[in-house]
Amino acid sequence: MSAFANVADERLLIEAAQQDPSRFAELYENNFHRVYAFIARRVGDRAEAEDITAEVFHQALSNIRRFEWRGVPFAAWLLRIAANTVADRWQKAAKSREVNFDVLEEPGIDDEVERRAMLFQLVERLPQDQRLVILRRFVEQKSIREIALEMGRSEGAVKQLQFRALENLRSKVPRSGGEADLPR
Amino acid sequence: MNNAFIYEQLDEAIEAMMANAGASGAAQEASIAELMMVASDLRQLPRPDFKARLKTELKWVAAARPLTPARKAQPANGADVLPSLFGNVYGSYPMRHSNFAASLLLHAAAMVIVLGSTFWWARQQPAQKRAIVDVMPITISESEIVGAIRPHGGGGGGDRDRLNAPNGDLPLPAARQITPPVVVVANDHPHLPVEPTIVAPNLHVPQPEHMGDPLSRLVTPSNGSGVSAGLGSGNGSGVGSGGGPGFGPGSGGGYGGSVFSVGNGVTAPRVIYDPDPEYSPEARAARYQGTVKLWAVIGPDGRTRELRVQQSVGMGLDEKALEAVRKWRFEPATMNGHPVAVQIEVEVGFHLY
Repeated sequence: MSAFANVADERLLIEAAQQDPSRFAELYENNFHRVYAFIARRVGDRAEAEDITAEVFHQALSNIRRFEWRGVPFAAWLLRIAANTVADRWQKAAKSREVNFDVLEEPGIDDEVERRAMLFQLVERLPQDQRLVILRRFVEQKSIREIALEMGRSEGAVKQLQFRALENLRSKVPRSGGEADLPR
Repeated sequence: MNNAFIYEQLDEAIEAMMANAGASGAAQEASIAELMMVASDLRQLPRPDFKARLKTELKWVAAARPLTPARKAQPANGADVLPSLFGNVYGSYPMRHSNFAASLLLHAAAMVIVLGSTFWWARQQPAQKRAIVDVMPITISESEIVGAIRPHGGGGGGDRDRLNAPNGDLPLPAARQITPPVVVVANDHPHLPVEPTIVAPNLHVPQPEHMGDPLSRLVTPSNGSGVSAGLGSGNGSGVGSGGGPGFGPGSGGGYGGSVFSVGNGVTAPRVIYDPDPEYSPEARAARYQGTVKLWAVIGPDGRTRELRVQQSVGMGLDEKALEAVRKWRFEPATMNGHPVAVQIEVEVGFHLY
């Protein structure tokens, strides 16, 4: 699909969501990983990143009718909301502790955010057993022994699945600084 | 390199990274190092159910938001006509059809109860004929009595009191006066008690309760500042400021004070505000009907100055008629273009239909 067609589709999706908020789900699907990656990169904590991501999408849904199409990707609008939300959180936190505001930067769809968004999205497409190992290991932070017991496999087999999953992801995700193929 | 060794080496590096966030293997092979970069990013991988949970949350919120007018204006199918019924997007929560059906049944039941009880109550009530007060169109007529009255005289009196005579009813009119009216009685036990009267045409007025000057606003008992006898500031034996045995200014008896009768160049007053009298409860209960005739003096200001019952029907209807006519307002009678006070007769009919 050409870039022009993508832009036209996104505009149609936005107009549809502005008339019927239930159509917002498609915009959510297209932008979830990008917004989450953007926030996770800034806050560094999964729970807080999830919390802020939820807040961003709720705000976006509330204000979708105010969005005016000016040729800028919808993701830029979402990332602006995300940046503001993160800044608000940090300003509140700054009242009780020191916060380094230097890391607050202008929002943008940079390559690193796109790379992570693509990585998170690719995890969902991994084979079932590889995906399970990745989630148990990195999200739930279980040991290889615990995962092996849960899956009923040997520790060696789980380590092999872990290797293959990471290898699978590495092969599809551009290296840091490389050209990113925006996920859709 | 043995694959098992690579798996082991990778896992050890991951274990170290997990144990010490931010640490990276000092001496890793290039292939392991690349995988560790991926692994490092995966530490922030969202929980697997987070995305789906948030999506469900947003769907609920979106469902609570109404469609824009543009969407509503589209040719409607059933869901657009009743979005809440069809669980489209309306209201605070997604619609449950069972709840809607229960609500519909409850409302229908409530409606049946209300209508049923209304009809039942209506049938239980005895057939009541609605009582309607019908006020006959007033007849401002040239009364025969009024016609006999001439504004030629009046009366007045007093016993040189400092105060004027108090407000009260006129004494009974009579053709001859034997005893002038007094409020402050000097002799409580006269040898020959005679009813005090004034000399004036008989209007068949009821027995006065409190004797006095109807035009006075005072309440303190006094016979007035006049002389001779009677009540008021005049010098006769009547009531008022005149000099005769009648009432009002002037002399020679009768009703003075320039109260004219209609005719002979005096126009009839015209009623401009006439609220209906109420039917008295006892007359309504007894289904009593009748016509009350009143005698009234309508002043130059169009207000009722004097009001007497000329023909009573009782059952509280007289009082109701007086009460109503007292509130009436008239376009005053005129003589030579100037408003004057006139005496008129008013009929108030009470009828039940």
